[in-house]
Amino acid sequence: MTVGLRLFLSSAGFGIAIALAYWFTSREIVGTFMLGVMAFGLSFVAGYMIVAEREADLIGDEKNATIQSGAGELVGTYTVTSPLPLGSAVAVTCIGLGIVVSPVIAVLGILAVLAFGALFVIQSR
Amino acid sequence: MGESADVSAVAVPAMPEAAERHDLLSWLTTTDHKRIGILYLLTSLAYFGVSGILSLMMRTQLARPNNTFLDAHQYAQLFTLHGTAMIFLFVAPFAFGLANFLIPLQIGAADMAFPRLNATSYWLFLFGGLVVFLGAATNEGAAASGWTAYPPLSEIRVSTGLGQDLWIVGVFLVSVATIVTSINFVTTVFIFRAPGMTMWRIPIFTWEMVATSLLVFMAFPSLAATLLLLFVDRHMGGHAFDPAYGGSPVLWDHLFWFFGHPEVYVMILPYFGVISEIVPVFSRKPIFGYTGLVLAAFAIAGLSMGVWAHHMFTTGVVNNPFFAFVSFLIAVPTGVKFFNWIATMWRGSISFETPMLFAIGFLLNFLIGGITGVMLASPPIDYQAHDSYFVVAHFHYVLGGGSLFAIFAALFFWWPKMFGVKLDETLGKWCFGLLFVGFNVTFLPMHFMGVMGMPRRVFTYDAGGPLPTLNLIATFGSYIMFAGVALYVVNAIVSARTRIPVGSDPWSANSLEWWTSSPPPEHNFESLPPIRSERPVYDARVARA
Repeated sequence: MTVGLRLFLSSAGFGIAIALAYWFTSREIVGTFMLGVMAFGLSFVAGYMIVAEREADLIGDEKNATIQSGAGELVGTYTVTSPLPLGSAVAVTCIGLGIVVSPVIAVLGILAVLAFGALFVIQSR
Repeated sequence: MGESADVSAVAVPAMPEAAERHDLLSWLTTTDHKRIGILYLLTSLAYFGVSGILSLMMRTQLARPNNTFLDAHQYAQLFTLHGTAMIFLFVAPFAFGLANFLIPLQIGAADMAFPRLNATSYWLFLFGGLVVFLGAATNEGAAASGWTAYPPLSEIRVSTGLGQDLWIVGVFLVSVATIVTSINFVTTVFIFRAPGMTMWRIPIFTWEMVATSLLVFMAFPSLAATLLLLFVDRHMGGHAFDPAYGGSPVLWDHLFWFFGHPEVYVMILPYFGVISEIVPVFSRKPIFGYTGLVLAAFAIAGLSMGVWAHHMFTTGVVNNPFFAFVSFLIAVPTGVKFFNWIATMWRGSISFETPMLFAIGFLLNFLIGGITGVMLASPPIDYQAHDSYFVVAHFHYVLGGGSLFAIFAALFFWWPKMFGVKLDETLGKWCFGLLFVGFNVTFLPMHFMGVMGMPRRVFTYDAGGPLPTLNLIATFGSYIMFAGVALYVVNAIVSARTRIPVGSDPWSANSLEWWTSSPPPEHNFESLPPIRSERPVYDARVARA
């Protein structure tokens, strides 16, 4: 079991414990609900990690791994520049501002988010 | 300590070289974690500068009783923007900037797991902050309901202007950016570690960022949902917080503080990591109790999710003993950290360079903030001190005396790694002195003001009694602090002009970021040493000697 999985499992256990403790000492709905959602979320991540870990083979987890053992085929290069992040953030901000200031700006923002989203998908292929 | 100097280092397969560009367009489109980190740091420092000026204006108003420098509404806008900027736009984002720069370097990775998402979260943070401040340009001015935006103050019938709406949108954007960047941190640490860099070998700062990111996952969705509810209340006929229609302002308290108190730890855990990195380097000893420090971080993070209603003791509708007990419990892992730092220094060969001075300043100030925190966790004391200047003093000792001093420690410590030049030590020590004296002159008297009954968020007070003298002292202290910050800016300019280069490891430090050149190349490492402990660079240094 990896450290990451242990981390999420123990966090989920703590979340369930504190939600139960809070309910039985307070009988208060809002806090119990929020703690419950938190515990559910952590349990979900822990469950996902149990499944995903079957496929995981992380060289970083091997105590005696050498730097060479992490080497592999150079499959490509990564870009260190992209206009998409700035464009997407401007678009999302336009949606937020538009909701407050003008629906036209919001619509333009939505269209821009769709366009940048499509570009993200195309670039990721 | 350089890559070419050590024969045991193993070269990383060379990436095709792209000529590094430094024009404006390259910064606008960058997805390099180091550049994004620097953008985060500079932006958060800019927000800190603006927020600091706002606080000076508030202190000027309070320098004497019945002052007319600001009116009540202007003062309310200033403390709202000051609190919002310090909490959402400076202290936490500075840590994210530091983490962006450091995490891949500390774990031996080439970049973050999701570089473009990383850049997107930075831009959302920048724009979110600008949207918050945009409110000041509207006819009715910026939001004026405090950074806590309690209803009914933030409801449409009280805050009629656009400023409150822009505040909601801006903080919402920042909260989305924070969640996204935290996902990136955790994924990077779990997946992208170099061979041999097991989880129990990653530096404490990286561990603290994992704990911080977990807190963000648990706390920030509550903030985002609460802001949406407020917006629905204001513009779509909702009544979630309106008791006239079956809603409740206490619901806001619950939802907001479910985020708000963990946020305090989002703003302090990374800086525990900073101190844990700096203290061993300048004590010439390994960190005492590595495992204990890590477990304490997660204990603090977990417990902090169960203390939100200690902000609501005086509402009379929460289970005070439960929240008092859990709040007291947090002092235990925090104490573990404190003792570990002291034990690290114990019998060490301590040297007092500027980062270490700020780290020691952090320990002294944070201790006071921690002790007053334990006091306020006790409902009988909280009933007396609630919403008074005692609380203002407490949280400034935690976030100003604690986080701010750690921020300056980090700036002086990692500046050479980021820019390849060192900040001037003499100016740095003066900067520390001014900030330490100024901070304590400003905030220590506030404890007494609070005990004497001065409420927070008031724009003036009566002339009688000792309050005018105490307020004048506090204002004087704030100007000393300003001088300290100004001296830091001068130091940065001087270092940029003189540009005296430093090597890859000017402090003889321990963790992997000190292996690579200063500043690091685009792909971070030309080579990596064998990683067999949490101090790979130290190990390599010893092996070579």
